[in-house]
Amino acid sequence: MSYYGSTDYSYNSDFNLRVRDMKKGNLDFGWLDDARDKVEVRRQDPRRGLMLQDIEVGDYAIENTPEVVRENRGLAPRGAILAEGSDQPDLGPTLNKKSDVWGYRVQSYWEEAMSRQWNVTTDVPWQDMDKYEIPEEIEFAFCQLCTLLSEVEMIATDLPSKWSHHMNSQFQEVKGFIATQCIDEARHAEVFRKRALANGVGLLRASVRGEHALKGILEADSYSEGSVFLHVLGEGFILTLFRSSEFISPTPVEQRMFQLVMQDEARHVSYGLQHLKYLMDECPEARPQINGFLDEAERHLTGLFNPDQLESMIVLGGKGTSPECIKRGVETVGAFQGKQIQEYFHRAERAGLPERRERSPLLELQQRMLTAIQAV
Amino acid sequence: MAIKFPSVEFFQELANRMQGNAAEFEKLGFCDTVMAVKVDGGDPHLYGLTFSCFDCTDVRELGGADELELDFTLVAPLALWREMFESIQKSGIPEPAYTLNSLSHVGDRMAVVYDDPEGHDKFYRFMATIQAFVNQASDLDIEWA
Repeated sequence: MSYYGSTDYSYNSDFNLRVRDMKKGNLDFGWLDDARDKVEVRRQDPRRGLMLQDIEVGDYAIENTPEVVRENRGLAPRGAILAEGSDQPDLGPTLNKKSDVWGYRVQSYWEEAMSRQWNVTTDVPWQDMDKYEIPEEIEFAFCQLCTLLSEVEMIATDLPSKWSHHMNSQFQEVKGFIATQCIDEARHAEVFRKRALANGVGLLRASVRGEHALKGILEADSYSEGSVFLHVLGEGFILTLFRSSEFISPTPVEQRMFQLVMQDEARHVSYGLQHLKYLMDECPEARPQINGFLDEAERHLTGLFNPDQLESMIVLGGKGTSPECIKRGVETVGAFQGKQIQEYFHRAERAGLPERRERSPLLELQQRMLTAIQAV
Repeated sequence: MAIKFPSVEFFQELANRMQGNAAEFEKLGFCDTVMAVKVDGGDPHLYGLTFSCFDCTDVRELGGADELELDFTLVAPLALWREMFESIQKSGIPEPAYTLNSLSHVGDRMAVVYDDPEGHDKFYRFMATIQAFVNQASDLDIEWA
């Protein structure tokens, strides 16, 4: 035990006396003294049930929360009545500005996440795997890809977990949304692990370069830096990688798997984009810091283009290891990577960072890749 | 009775089936996007599809992309749409080369046209629903234009 409060409530005589009174039926209803007027809540769409957007009313609405939250540093949910004075414990949240964490439409991302959950065990048609013959070289390449993707998903689970308790509880929807991200990413790690093992090959080589890139995400100095690295840059790239992986999947079983994971990934990208946009709108002075961070983060990210992953993608893209297949695979993978970079620039531009296109080290990387492909 | 492709009636039939297959689409979750399907060729057609909650709530032919606030438009020639639906009709789901993602990912077979990257990302956020929506054509008697 490392926390000993200033009061030992188990030996609090006032409390014990009150409980004795209550047991006799003497309730004082003091907890109703500060009750506010009732709020009017309307379900906008009965088919959806009660949405978070429906309960954004009065003191409970995020729009009525100041940019800097000073009063609530404990666990009280937004709109709860705080004790007078400073009796609420200070849990030390470090993310107390709305622009530190908020993103446009967070509530709808939460609802979408809750509604679109799926189950690796039952929603992937594992029973169909026996219907298809997969050449051994393709199976090995696919398992190498699954190994890297499992590593990626580990970090994508850890980053939101790392920051959640630093967020002020006023921002409940963001804490909730990144909790859904944790379960999404844990599910992705599960599906790639299961698929790698399903045909007996198992997991192959872990990536040194890749893990250095991923460590950079976890070690970001602020939540916004971590978010722009993970959600916009990293997951944006991985979303395109999932699309590519669906495209080169050996059978409909893997295609289904990637259709499901890409949905989750795209939702995380959307939140990251809306957080970055909110940050740029509400806190434009953060722009140099974010740009400086991305200059380095984009270099880090190139670690995800590691030789093992590239080779496995080339084998999958070309559907074999003959010279003709490899040539086709190189072209296919080159096209994926160009798309990854362009889509990232487009998102950055939309979020308010059009300068990424000019200053990014990814451009040089793309040029090198294009030259390499033309040389094949 | 055969349903002509492309036509409003074709997409309306898929929307009706979506309501009939409520359990499948409720399992997939909320789907909120306004998309369009463009059938290119000598006689091009553009159809707007509005998805809300678990349904496709509006199907209409559009005179131009500015008639709806579209998240994205899938653009392909009639021949490719035909290949895709014929592939779906073989076994209820498309062959690997004919999923919406595969068709639109590399090359210029099917284009995904969008203005806003978030609109573009909705194609992927709701991919399983949109794929299931078109897969419902698996047993439709289709009259090709």
